Amino acid sequence: MKSSNSPTDPPVDPTRLDEARREEARLDEAWRYDVNPAFHDEVLSPKGDLRPHWSGLADSLDAMGHTELARRWQQGRRLIHDNGITYNVYSDPQSTARPWVLDPLPAVMDPAEWKSIEAAIIQRAMLFNHVLADLYGPQRLLRDGNLPVELVLPNPAFLRPCSGIQPPGGAFLHSYAADLARSPDGQWWVLADRTQAPSGSGYALENRLVTTRVLPDVFRGSHVRRLAHFFQTYRDSLQRMVPANRENPRIVVLTPGPYNETYFEHAFLARYLGYTLVEGGDLTVRENRVYLKTLGGLLPVDVIVRRQDDHFCDPLELRADSMLGVPGLVQAVRSGNVAVANALGSGLAESPAYAAFLPGLSRLLLGEELKMPTVATWWCGQKEPLAYVEEHLKDLVIKPTFPESRRNPIFGASLSKEEREALLTRLRADPTHYVAQEQVALSTIPVWDDARLHPRHMVLRVFAVSTADGYAVMPGGLTRVSKTLDSMVVSMQSGGGSKDTWVLGEAPEPPFTLLRPTAHPLDVSRATFDLPSRVADNLFWLGRYAERVEAAVRIARALLPRFFQESDSDRAAGLNAGLSILGALGYLNVEKPKEADLLDMIYDPDLPNGLVWNMHQVRRTGWLLRDRISIDAWLILNQLDRQFSAAPPPEELRVSAAQDRLNSAIITLSAFGGLVMEGMTRGNGWRFLDIGRRLERATQMTGLLRDSLNAEAPAGVGVLEAVLEVADSSITYRSRYLTSLQTDLVLDLLLVDEANPRSIAFQLARLVEHIDQLPGTRTAIRRPPEARHALSLLTAVQLADVRELARDDAARAALLDRLAEDLSRFSDTLTRAYFSHAAQSRQLAAS
Amino acid sequence: MRLHATHITRYWYSDPASMCHTEVHLAPRALPHQIVLDHELEVSPPPNFTVTRQDYFGNEVTAFSVEQAHRELIVTSRCTAEVAAEPPPNLDLSPPWEEVREETARRATPEAFDAGQFIFESPLIRVGTPFAKYAAESFPAGRRFLSGVDDLSHRIYKDFRYDQRATTVSTPVDEVLASRRGVCQDFAHLMISCLRSLHLPARYVSGYVRGDGKFVGGEASHAWVSAWCPVFGWRDFDPTNNVMPQGDHFTLAWGRDYSDVTPVKGVALGGGEQVISVSVDVREAEPSA
Repeated sequence: MKSSNSPTDPPVDPTRLDEARREEARLDEAWRYDVNPAFHDEVLSPKGDLRPHWSGLADSLDAMGHTELARRWQQGRRLIHDNGITYNVYSDPQSTARPWVLDPLPAVMDPAEWKSIEAAIIQRAMLFNHVLADLYGPQRLLRDGNLPVELVLPNPAFLRPCSGIQPPGGAFLHSYAADLARSPDGQWWVLADRTQAPSGSGYALENRLVTTRVLPDVFRGSHVRRLAHFFQTYRDSLQRMVPANRENPRIVVLTPGPYNETYFEHAFLARYLGYTLVEGGDLTVRENRVYLKTLGGLLPVDVIVRRQDDHFCDPLELRADSMLGVPGLVQAVRSGNVAVANALGSGLAESPAYAAFLPGLSRLLLGEELKMPTVATWWCGQKEPLAYVEEHLKDLVIKPTFPESRRNPIFGASLSKEEREALLTRLRADPTHYVAQEQVALSTIPVWDDARLHPRHMVLRVFAVSTADGYAVMPGGLTRVSKTLDSMVVSMQSGGGSKDTWVLGEAPEPPFTLLRPTAHPLDVSRATFDLPSRVADNLFWLGRYAERVEAAVRIARALLPRFFQESDSDRAAGLNAGLSILGALGYLNVEKPKEADLLDMIYDPDLPNGLVWNMHQVRRTGWLLRDRISIDAWLILNQLDRQFSAAPPPEELRVSAAQDRLNSAIITLSAFGGLVMEGMTRGNGWRFLDIGRRLERATQMTGLLRDSLNAEAPAGVGVLEAVLEVADSSITYRSRYLTSLQTDLVLDLLLVDEANPRSIAFQLARLVEHIDQLPGTRTAIRRPPEARHALSLLTAVQLADVRELARDDAARAALLDRLAEDLSRFSDTLTRAYFSHAAQSRQLAAS
Repeated sequence: MRLHATHITRYWYSDPASMCHTEVHLAPRALPHQIVLDHELEVSPPPNFTVTRQDYFGNEVTAFSVEQAHRELIVTSRCTAEVAAEPPPNLDLSPPWEEVREETARRATPEAFDAGQFIFESPLIRVGTPFAKYAAESFPAGRRFLSGVDDLSHRIYKDFRYDQRATTVSTPVDEVLASRRGVCQDFAHLMISCLRSLHLPARYVSGYVRGDGKFVGGEASHAWVSAWCPVFGWRDFDPTNNVMPQGDHFTLAWGRDYSDVTPVKGVALGGGEQVISVSVDVREAEPSA
C-alpha cells in the first residue's frame, strides 16, 4: 500500500502469529485446493496449513465427504428456490429476477480478529455520523478547511433542503455498512462505505437460514454467533426514533418497488421485522403528517426505513422528476412528525473521495487514529495527489467523486496507452470530479462446485446499527465472492456468489429469534386494515387477469376439437358461433375470424389480448405482489407463464400441441385458484382478489351469453353445446335435465342458478357478500354506491324469467346489455372507493 | 422609491385535483437598500396546512397544502417595500478579476466562504469551455472585476434576443448560448454560467422589475444576477435590461439558480391537464399618509 492524501495512515498491524496457528492441522486430501501465494488465503497458510479457526468446519467436512454435502446441498438449493431469494439484475430486463447464488461453505472469522473489525466499524459509523452532522449543520469542517468544499457543495448528494434538520437522537446513520477486503499481508482494508440505504443485511440473514438448515450439526458444534440479536437492536433503534410517545407506533419499509435490484431483501426484511412494506405512492402527507393509505383509511406513520435513494423521496423539495417520492415528506421530517432512517441527505458520505481525509477527520472529531485503513485513495482535486495519479495511472482504479454520476470505475491497467492519455486529459480538465484508488489484491476463499474446492476472491460486507450510545455490529456479514479467480470484481451484479459468514464465539449462544412476543404483548388483531390500497388494487387485477386467462383458455379448448370434426352442420355452426364469440369478446383482432386465428390467439405473443399476452399480465401483476402471495402461488404463476411462452411447435403439430397446452393450463390455473381459496387468510386482500375473479367471470359469462345467443344466428344445438362446454357446465346440465339442449334451461343454469359456481348469479351473490364485508360498507350508515350496484345486479338476475328470455330475443339482449354495463360501472365505483389514490401525482408547471 | 407588487399565479385543472403540496419563494428579502413594509400571501382554496421557514440561502419560503378536491388554485402575493436607488459604485475601483478568483478559492473570510459556494455547477448552471470562451472577451488580464461583469452583462444584452417563444423553463443553458435567444431567466443563467466557468462567484436573483414600459420583464417574475468581490460585496446586474438595478428592482430571493428559488412550485394529485397563468404588476406605491 502506498501513501494517500493523508501521509499518516496507521501502520499495518503485523499479522498475529498465535502459537495455535503453527498447529499441524491440514485439510483432508479430498478437500485440498491450490492456493496462489500472491494472495492471502482465508483457510490455508502459504505453507498449506489449515488456519486454526477453520479446524471445526474442516473436521466436519472430512467426516461428511463430498457425497453427503452434495446430498444436503440439494436441499439448500431447493430452499433458495422455494423461498424465492432473488437479486434483480439491471442489464437483464427480460428476466429481472436472478436466483441468489450461495455457496454452502461459510466464511469463518476468528473471534479475536473479529473484535478488531467490530471496533473499526463502530468507529467509522460514529465518524461518518459526526461528519454528516457537521455538513448539515455548522459546516465547521469546510470553514476550517478540514474537508475540501469541492467534495460537498457541488455534490448532488448534498441536499440543501435537509440542512439544519436534526435526526432523532442525532443519528444520521441508523444503519451503516462497509465493504472490507484483506490484502496479501493479512491486513483488512475498507474498500467502500455505505451510508445511504445499506443493503445486504437481509441477504446475510437469508444465507444464515439456508446454511444452518443444511449444516445444522456443523453450525451447532462451531459456537457460531447468532444474528437475531442484531435485528433486535435494529428494531430497538427504530423504536427509539418514534417521534411522539406512541404506544403502538407504525414503522414502514419504503421500497422503490419490485424492479429495484434488492427488492427481495426489502420484502424479506419487512416481513422479518414485522413492518409494512410500502412504496412512495402508498404514503401521503396530510397536515404535515405522514399517513399510510389503506383500505381502512389513513393510518399515521411514525418511522420510515428508507431503502430508496434520498433525492427521490420528495418531489416537492428534492428531485422534482421523481415519481417514487412522497410530496411534503421533507417538511414532515423537518417538523419532527416522522423519522426517516437513514436520515435524508446521508448519501453525501458515500463519495469515495472522503477516504483520503478520514484519518485527519478521525483525529479531529474523535481524537483517535483510524482503526482500519481505507484502501489508498487520492482525490485528484489537490496538486500532489493529482501528480501521483498521473504518474501511476496504470496501477489505479479511477472512480467518479460523486457516485450519482453512475459512471463505472475505470481500471488503469486495462487501458491502452492512447486510452490512458485520453483519460488523463479528461482528468486534468476536471480534476475535482475524479478519485483514484489502489487495487487491492483481494484474499481468496474456497467455493465448492459439487466435487471440488476452488479459490475465489472475496469481499466482506459488515453491518452496523445505531444504539442508544453508539453502534452495534452484526456478528457476521455478507461475504461475496468473485465469479472467477481472474476477476477482482466482486458483485452480485456481475455474476458473483455469496457465503454465510460465521463469527466464532467463545461459548455456545442460546438460540434466539425475533419471532416471539415483544415485551408489551399486543392485543390479538385480526383486522387487515393496514393493507395498502395499492396492494388491494393489484390483487383485484390479479384476480381479473387470472380469470380472464381461464375464460380464454376454456373457450379455445372448447372450440379446438371442432377443427377436426366438420361432419355435421350443427358442429360447423358451433364453430362459427365460437369464432364470433371470440371476436366479440376481443380475443381475436379481426373482422371475420378464421380457424387459423384461433391458433394465433394461443401462440402469438404479440397479439394484444391473446393468451400469451394475458398470461404476461397475470405474471406481471403477480410480480408486483410477490411480498403478498405465497411462494407456491408465485411458482404456479411462473409455470403458467413458461407454458405459454414456449416457442410454438411446427405448423403441422400446432393443433394437437395446442390441445395439450390448453389442458395443462386449465389444471395449473385451477391449482392457482385452489391455492388462493385454501391458502389465503380471509382478509381484505383475499376479498379483493376474489372480487376481481368474480367480477371478471360474471363479465365473461355475460359476454358469452349475449354474443352466442344473439338474434342473428339462432341458437342451434351446436351453439348451446359450445356454450355449456366453455362454461364448464355440460355435466351439470346433462345430469340435471337428461334432455336435449334447450335455450331456457341453459339460461337457467348459466344465468340464474346460484348453486352453479359458473353462473352469473353465483358470482354476483359472492360480490354482494364481499362488498358487505369491506371497511367502506361496514363503517357506512347507508350503502355506498358500489354496494348498491352489486345488490341491484344480483336482484336483476334473480328476478329474470328464463322462459321469457329464451323466447324474446330483445328482452334477453336488453338484460344482458344492462348486466354488462352495470358490471363495468360497478368496477368503476369500486375503483373510486378504494383505489382512487392511483391518480398520478404531477408537478405543477413552474411559474 | 416605494414599490408595490401584486403577483397572481393561477392553476386550472381539467379534472379535480384531490390535493396539492406547494412551496413558494414570494416574500421580499430585507436588505440594506430594501425595507420591506408589508407582505401578504393569499391562497385559494384556503390551505389545510401552512408553514414558513428560512431556506439554505436565508430566503423566506412558505409551504402549504390544499387537501380538498379543487379545480383551481390561486396564489396571490402582495408586497410593498421602500427600495433605495443607490448610486452605482465606481466599477474601476474593484479588484482585478484574477484576484477575486483567488480570494474566493482561499475562503479566508466568512464573506469569501459564503461567496465560494456560488462557483460550482448547479442543477441549471453549466461550467465549461464554451461559457469561459464567451466570457473571456470581458475579462482580459488585469480587468477590474466589476467592470468585466458589467461588460459581460452589456454583451449579453447586445448579442442575445429577448424571445418568449424561444425557450421554456427547462431549456438548458447550453442551448441558450447556441441559439442566442431567451428570456430574463435564460440570460441570468447564461451570465452565471460564464462567470462560474472562470471560477468567479455569481448567484441568481429572483424578483420583480417595475412594469411601466421602461423595463423588459415587468409583466412576470423577473430574474437577474449578483456577483461578488471583496470590499464591494454582492453587486446586482440585469443583463435583460442592460442595467445595474437602482431602485426599480424588487428582490425576493437568491440561490444558485432558478431551481433554488422557484417562485411557485408544487405537486398535485390528479387534476388531469393543467393551465397556468401568471400576472405580475409592479408600480410605484402611493405613500401612505
